[in-house]
Amino acid sequence: MNNTRKQLDRAQRESILGWGLILPAATIIGLLVLYPIIYNIYLSFFDTSLSGNNTFIGLRNYENVLFDPEFWKAVWTTLIYVVFTTVGTTVFGLIVALVMNKEFPLRGLVRSLLLLPYVAPVISVVFAWKFIFDPVNGLFMDLTVEKLGIFTERFNLIGTPSAAIWVTIIFSIWRNFPFTYLMILSRLQAIDKNLYEAADIDGCGGWSKFRFITLPEVYFVVGSIVLLRVIWNFNKFEDIFLLADNVEVLSVYTYFKAFTGSMEMGQGSSLAVIQFVLLIGFIIYYVKKVLKW
Amino acid sequence: MKKSVIFLLVSVFALLPLTYVFAEGQQEAAESEVVEFDFWTTQTQSDRQSTIQVLIDTYTTLYPNVKINLVPVDENDMVSNVQTGAMSGTLPAMIEGSADMHVSFGVEGIIDTDATMDVIEQVGKSNFYEGPLKMLESADGGSYYGVPYHGWIQGIWYRADWFEEAGLEPPTTWDAIAKAAKYFYKPDENQYGILVGTKAESYAEQCFTPFAMSNNAGLFDSDGNLIFNSPEMKEAVEFYGELAKYNPPGPQTWRARDYYLQGKMAMFFYSTYIMDDLALAEVAQGSLTSENFENLKGTSFDPDLVKNTRMAPIVSNDSDAGFGTVVSFTFLNQEDKRITEAASKFVAYLYTQNAYITWLHMAPGGMNPMIRGIAENARFQNDPKGIFKNYGPEKMAEIIDGLNNIESFGIVEGQVIEAASTVTAQQIIPKMLYSITQEGEDVDAAMAMAEEEMEKLLK
Repeated sequence: MNNTRKQLDRAQRESILGWGLILPAATIIGLLVLYPIIYNIYLSFFDTSLSGNNTFIGLRNYENVLFDPEFWKAVWTTLIYVVFTTVGTTVFGLIVALVMNKEFPLRGLVRSLLLLPYVAPVISVVFAWKFIFDPVNGLFMDLTVEKLGIFTERFNLIGTPSAAIWVTIIFSIWRNFPFTYLMILSRLQAIDKNLYEAADIDGCGGWSKFRFITLPEVYFVVGSIVLLRVIWNFNKFEDIFLLADNVEVLSVYTYFKAFTGSMEMGQGSSLAVIQFVLLIGFIIYYVKKVLKW
Repeated sequence: MKKSVIFLLVSVFALLPLTYVFAEGQQEAAESEVVEFDFWTTQTQSDRQSTIQVLIDTYTTLYPNVKINLVPVDENDMVSNVQTGAMSGTLPAMIEGSADMHVSFGVEGIIDTDATMDVIEQVGKSNFYEGPLKMLESADGGSYYGVPYHGWIQGIWYRADWFEEAGLEPPTTWDAIAKAAKYFYKPDENQYGILVGTKAESYAEQCFTPFAMSNNAGLFDSDGNLIFNSPEMKEAVEFYGELAKYNPPGPQTWRARDYYLQGKMAMFFYSTYIMDDLALAEVAQGSLTSENFENLKGTSFDPDLVKNTRMAPIVSNDSDAGFGTVVSFTFLNQEDKRITEAASKFVAYLYTQNAYITWLHMAPGGMNPMIRGIAENARFQNDPKGIFKNYGPEKMAEIIDGLNNIESFGIVEGQVIEAASTVTAQQIIPKMLYSITQEGEDVDAAMAMAEEEMEKLLK
């Protein structure tokens, strides 16, 4: 009797300790994440005004957004951006990881230098790119037009609407591949060497070894990285806005909608909710089908 | 600039013992509680920040029960910051920004017009130039959404020596501008004809307005009806699109003025703020020139640039039009009235002669007085960089006179049209110009879309 009571106490104490430990984090998440999300959903049903007199308008904000061709253009731009940057960073990161897994002189130095684009502050990197691609004073135009004669005339690579999206994609791949490479490399180093030796004995070529050993071994790492990259790039704002604000992906479109001129917070909120729903839908599908959780 | 700041600092410290005595006496009389408020300014440059801080320090030394926090806010972010401030109940007591913006805030109902009136009365309504004050008046008359403090006019700055050599007329009429832009556009030599704004930012509208106004094309008639989609407006838009072809490649904004300083451009739209950069070789030399980057194509900084540069402040076609902006102070609604009261007292102090001239000298030419008697003041004319001497008193008089005759979409036949400020704040015109010049959108389609946007706003 006495013994069971003591055990119960311990279990209670454990649970109290558990709550105590989780509480600070839960409070912070509740205040800084959940509250804004809920408030955002609430706002999306209102016509907001600065003086604080919000009027309930039901689903009108959603209607306005969904019937706006600009919105669908932004969805399309986002899709292009997310697909190409995710495929690009993953493939490029994988290739670099495979190369960096081989032994060669100064490998340590090269490995750490490769991380530079990822660790450099985005604002300084963006300005460096803008400087390089400036149509009048930039080094790129000077080199390709004046020195090498590849192009016949100068143009604004970052600014021109048709080129800007590709510049932001290449920028994103260049900036984020080190993360993919780092993750895959650490997985590669953990693959049992015996597998490759066995494959050698069976007479496998380089491609077969990659296809049947390396790829299955890194599958789940790559799968997780792709998921993370999709989430990050779907919501990406600062890289795109700073480099070329005329590339209107959803986040940039929402920013312009909500914050330029007289603010349409209600519509901005409904846009954010739609973006959130799209992303959650993708994540559920992906986690079930690709990561097989 | 630095000298004047140091001089002010020294004089502040020299006066400190005196003010202590004065302050002590004051303190006893005044409430012991300190009133603290935020002051948002669009003067984000660090040297200007320090000058304003000196003015604040001087003031708070005199009135130790006031604490003023100076917060720099980029011009393009001011609207969104004020709006988020309004939503979250953290509006600053006072802001400094363009009159247009303040009118749009006034329409939203977040401005304390009693406080602005209070300052206008303290300074004396008849002391203000009428034109700028009119820009801040409410549509129903009688109240003001801000108090004009300084202003600039915009015009086409051009290489007079190039024009002379080519035998071209100064760029004051549509024909002369178009002809010169075409003549000097030599992309093979990395030289461009003109700079007009083509990025979807305020600068584009600033460049476009004089073309629309000089073609008698407005946004609204004097009864406030939208008349944007008119043949006159279309003509102006088409002409602007034509000029944009002689721009440096891609979407451009005011930053491209560097190309002019480098001798790679013949004309550019800019405010009188540039007088500073043009006159100061060191500023221009700090930018991208072939002296700093030997391998870049282009000429090195030309010390004679000031002498060879002229400004055409008026664009003429069917009528004459100038463009400029009035920068004003305004007070945003506060729950605690004492805060607004303290802020309006501070603004009244900024109108006292010494404080006013110190402020205006931050950017001689760019910041021009809004009350009578300052422009003629000998201390005002003797700016620390000697820029006014360089340009001469006549040019300065012309600029200040121009300020009284600024044309804007917001005033039609003497009527204030508040909706025009909302259209400007929403950047509908810059977006339209961007889609036409950069995305190759058809003029009629782009104008119809802009009109639709404007109608949506007015509902």
